[in-house]
Amino acid sequence: MNIRKTYRLLAAVAALALIAAPSAIAADLTGVGFIDQAAIGALPQFQKANQQVAQYKSQLDSQFAAQMKHAKNPSDQQRIAAQFQQKFLDKQREVLGPLFGRAQTAIAQVSANQKLGVVVDKRIVVYGGQDITKNVMDLVNGPGAVVPPSATPPPATIGYVDQSQLENVPKIKQANDNFTKYASDQRANAMKQMQGAKNDQKQQQQIFQSYQKSLSDQQHKLLDPLVQQTRDAISKVASQKGLILIVDRSDVIYGGTDITSDVQNALK
Amino acid sequence: MRSSKLAVLAFAALAVAGCAHQPSADDPKVRGIGYVRVTDVLKKHPLYPQLSQIQDAIDGLGLKSLGPNAVPRTQAQIAQQTKELNRELQQAQDRANGILRQKQQDYAQREQAAIRAALGAAGAGTNGSQPVQQMQNVSSAQAQQVAAQANADFNAYQQGVIAQDNAAVQQISKQLSDRADREYRQRATQLQEKESQLSLELSQQDASKRLDLRMKLNSLALPDAQRKQYRDQLAGLDKNEAAIVAAQREKDQKALADYQKQLQEQTRAQITAQAQKIHDATRSKLASRHNEVSQQVASQMQGLQPQAIPSNLPAATRDKLAQIDRQYKDAFKADAQKTIQQYQSTKADLDAQYQALQSADGTASVSASKELAQLQKQRDDLYNKMVDQIKRDAGTVAAKRGLQVVFMNIEGAGGGIDLTDDVEKDIESLHQ
Repeated sequence: MNIRKTYRLLAAVAALALIAAPSAIAADLTGVGFIDQAAIGALPQFQKANQQVAQYKSQLDSQFAAQMKHAKNPSDQQRIAAQFQQKFLDKQREVLGPLFGRAQTAIAQVSANQKLGVVVDKRIVVYGGQDITKNVMDLVNGPGAVVPPSATPPPATIGYVDQSQLENVPKIKQANDNFTKYASDQRANAMKQMQGAKNDQKQQQQIFQSYQKSLSDQQHKLLDPLVQQTRDAISKVASQKGLILIVDRSDVIYGGTDITSDVQNALK
Repeated sequence: MRSSKLAVLAFAALAVAGCAHQPSADDPKVRGIGYVRVTDVLKKHPLYPQLSQIQDAIDGLGLKSLGPNAVPRTQAQIAQQTKELNRELQQAQDRANGILRQKQQDYAQREQAAIRAALGAAGAGTNGSQPVQQMQNVSSAQAQQVAAQANADFNAYQQGVIAQDNAAVQQISKQLSDRADREYRQRATQLQEKESQLSLELSQQDASKRLDLRMKLNSLALPDAQRKQYRDQLAGLDKNEAAIVAAQREKDQKALADYQKQLQEQTRAQITAQAQKIHDATRSKLASRHNEVSQQVASQMQGLQPQAIPSNLPAATRDKLAQIDRQYKDAFKADAQKTIQQYQSTKADLDAQYQALQSADGTASVSASKELAQLQKQRDDLYNKMVDQIKRDAGTVAAKRGLQVVFMNIEGAGGGIDLTDDVEKDIESLHQ
């Protein structure tokens, strides 16, 4: 009877293991974690530090105003401004630097413990992933120093690009500049026409619609092809590097593979 | 019975075929990861027309900003309308001055005629021209006094306006400088975070070496020379990391200094442009006041004091001439007062328009920004509601497909499963 029970239990465990196995394997493969950054920023020590910096700044402001009154010329003003700017930065580094450092190290340690290749902002995760916010908060709040992990992050399945850098690729920058100029000219033109339309609501509506359409058409003509080229280049580089998805740099908190320069080269 | 079984089988086969074109969750090119293009799904959401409607209302505010009847929102529009008001005021002043000059001449001529007639009746004959001429000479002392008072008033006003001008320039300088400071601090914080990240990465890179050295140093049986060697190696690691971070910091400081210089130049140019506008407005105010004062002086100069009557005339004639002078002066004063009142009324109207114009920018901005803020909140609330629903549906689809994690707002994909079509269908079917 006992033997039969044991076999039944083993069979149940085996069945459970079979059910649980695919998700366990997949969890190991993804290695994606996420953090609620707002929750970290709301920790009392961060808030206190921010208040401290703000208080210091208000003190500096009055000192700055007093010294500027005695400035003899513009270069004197610049010197005073730079001096105060440096003071503020030093204070910011002094007060917030250790906190940022501690949080970064905590994220690194939790990620290493949970074998995460990348940690992203909570807002871009629709489903799944590992929420490590609480673990990080516990470490940040805990006593003693947070020890950096000895291992580097495992190879990530997620990569990232810095969009602000991609915007500096000459042909993208040129297209953006051209569009901005076009939009500005069109607006000036529409304003002139509006002055002429006086109280004719219908005519005003037509002018506005025509203005919007001209912008939309120009956007399709100038920018859309480049947007598509950029997407294609990103996907191509991602495939070459064995990365599953690419997100924006600003959404990545830890780990991940930076493919910005590869994409920049592909776009040249 | 048989046909229904066949139908079920056919449906199952279709379902399998439908799934066959997409890789499974454990495919090496998927690895449990999916994504959804939320902007595309949003367009299929039943609440999308409502979202578009709110967006149109927001765009409508933009239309108002382009309309001719809109309260001016740009400096250029305000400057243009101020110029028009200035022109109207100038025309009103010129008109009033012209009328007053004409009346003055009319009354002077009529008074001269009355004086000549009085002198003729008194037997003074043609000799009456001399006393008339004497009476025409307005006391220069009185004129100088009026002019001096007007100048003093104008100077006081000028000082006040210039003080306002200086305060406005200082205020705008402060605002622009504060903005530049904020931008500078933002850049500095970004670089600082980058340095922290670098420092962390370096310490991670050397973590195993460091741990190894520390473990070796923990050994009690270590010869002194060996111990020193390990300590030196440990110090070397620290020094190397510090040097890399310091080099990065130096590079960042240089970049920051260049950025600051650029910001300063930019801010200086903006301050100069704004100060120019303020000075132009001040010059316009002073010119306007100058015209007003000139008109007041002209009005006061019109001999409101009794004129000096030659003392060699008989007493009765002098009395008669004094009476004529008073009579015409009083009539002129009453008539001129009407013209001045008309001018004051026009000026009050124009002043009100000026005031409305000066505060229009702020009032319109406040009113428009309130409306805009409300609309944006409505749009954001609705958008968040729709995205939350898309996320929930994506989660359900992801669970069915055995995915472990699903992203939104991706920049590109080298693999993974695109759930957009499935979620779109799901969202549509939920509301059918």
